[in-house]
Amino acid sequence: MDKFKLEILTPNGEIFNDDVVSVVLPGQEGEFGVLAGHASLTTLLEAGVVDVEKEDKSVESIVINWGVAQVDEGKVIILVEGAAPIRGANESEIAKALEEAKKLINDIADSSTAIASVSAKIESAAQKLL
Amino acid sequence: MANLKDIQRQIKSVSNTQKTTRAMKLVSTAKLRRAEELAKRSRLYANKMNQVIAEIAGRIKCNKVGGLNNRFFEKVENPKMVDIVFVTADKGLCGGFNIQTIKAVNKLLKEYKEQNVKVRLRGIGKKGIEFFNYNEVEMFDTVVGLSSKPDKEKSDEFIKTSIDDFRDGKIDALHVVYNGYKNMITQELHVKQILPVDGEGFECEDAQKRSMLEIEAEDEELMLNSLVVKYVGYNMYYSLIDSVAAEHSARMQAMDAATNNAKEMVKSLNVEFNKARQAAITTELIEIISGVESMK
Repeated sequence: MDKFKLEILTPNGEIFNDDVVSVVLPGQEGEFGVLAGHASLTTLLEAGVVDVEKEDKSVESIVINWGVAQVDEGKVIILVEGAAPIRGANESEIAKALEEAKKLINDIADSSTAIASVSAKIESAAQKLL
Repeated sequence: MANLKDIQRQIKSVSNTQKTTRAMKLVSTAKLRRAEELAKRSRLYANKMNQVIAEIAGRIKCNKVGGLNNRFFEKVENPKMVDIVFVTADKGLCGGFNIQTIKAVNKLLKEYKEQNVKVRLRGIGKKGIEFFNYNEVEMFDTVVGLSSKPDKEKSDEFIKTSIDDFRDGKIDALHVVYNGYKNMITQELHVKQILPVDGEGFECEDAQKRSMLEIEAEDEELMLNSLVVKYVGYNMYYSLIDSVAAEHSARMQAMDAATNNAKEMVKSLNVEFNKARQAAITTELIEIISGVESMK
């Protein structure tokens, strides 16, 4: 499967920089997926979950609170304000990551339905890891 | 003649000071490394952010009738009120670090005063606030603790007032004055105009680089507005990070100089001490010899 480069940058540095197969982004007008060779695009992202499918088919979820995505044919760059990757080697680490992600969402999201839908997604992402 | 005991006490006190300043230098060096690392990582974000803004602003400027017609990018000819944000350290003992910033702020204040422009002074950092309080310069608001420990959320909150007021037309410009990090031994004073954003640099080429570019938001202006707010917020945050790095490098230098001075002082005190000791021995010897002579 074709792959492309994904970079996720926060004001405190880079949190993701690797080759990936696909990425699903929470765009302002709805979620959209990006595969290699996608047309150039610049768009704002809302608070939500970025699902990254890596080369080994594993999926990593990263919660963001605001962002702007710059999509090029071979590269995707996402600038985000705050991000919390849901990952960890063991249960307690994952629980901690989950906690952080929820905090990030609760801080900014203005509608309770948005919080609920994102929280549900975070929960299911964490379930998969356990 | 100087008392031997006195000199000894002085040597001890100076070498104790030296120990303290050396420790402070080491602490600053360690902190500097961390601050420098953060600033470096953050710069990646800055570069991309500039690129995205240039792209969208350039696009609007070239493709839209009337060009870039946005308050955030328009220079106001006769400003009525401006915001000046200064960033100083919360602590002293860092050479001319704080005073340089204060001087630059004073210069800016004077310039605006001559033009009859009202200024709202917003302060970050205890040292600068103390100075302006002492000199009875009125400040709009002040924050302590943010400059020694930059925090994105708090910095966003702080700058939001200025952004909102700028949007509403209450203020016509926003300046940030801070002392930034250049390298281990030099700091660089920055007097930046953050708002309005300088739109001159945006060229059509920026937008045309990517031929198939598609912008997903319905309203480009809306997107640009949202981006500018983040951009200004980020600029404020970066000023804080940069200032911390500079503060530590300034303190490291100041403490290094202090350690060297103490070393010199101990050296010259030692010479004095030895002279006094020899003088004492000589006197003693003369006393003994003359005693012996008189017994003959």
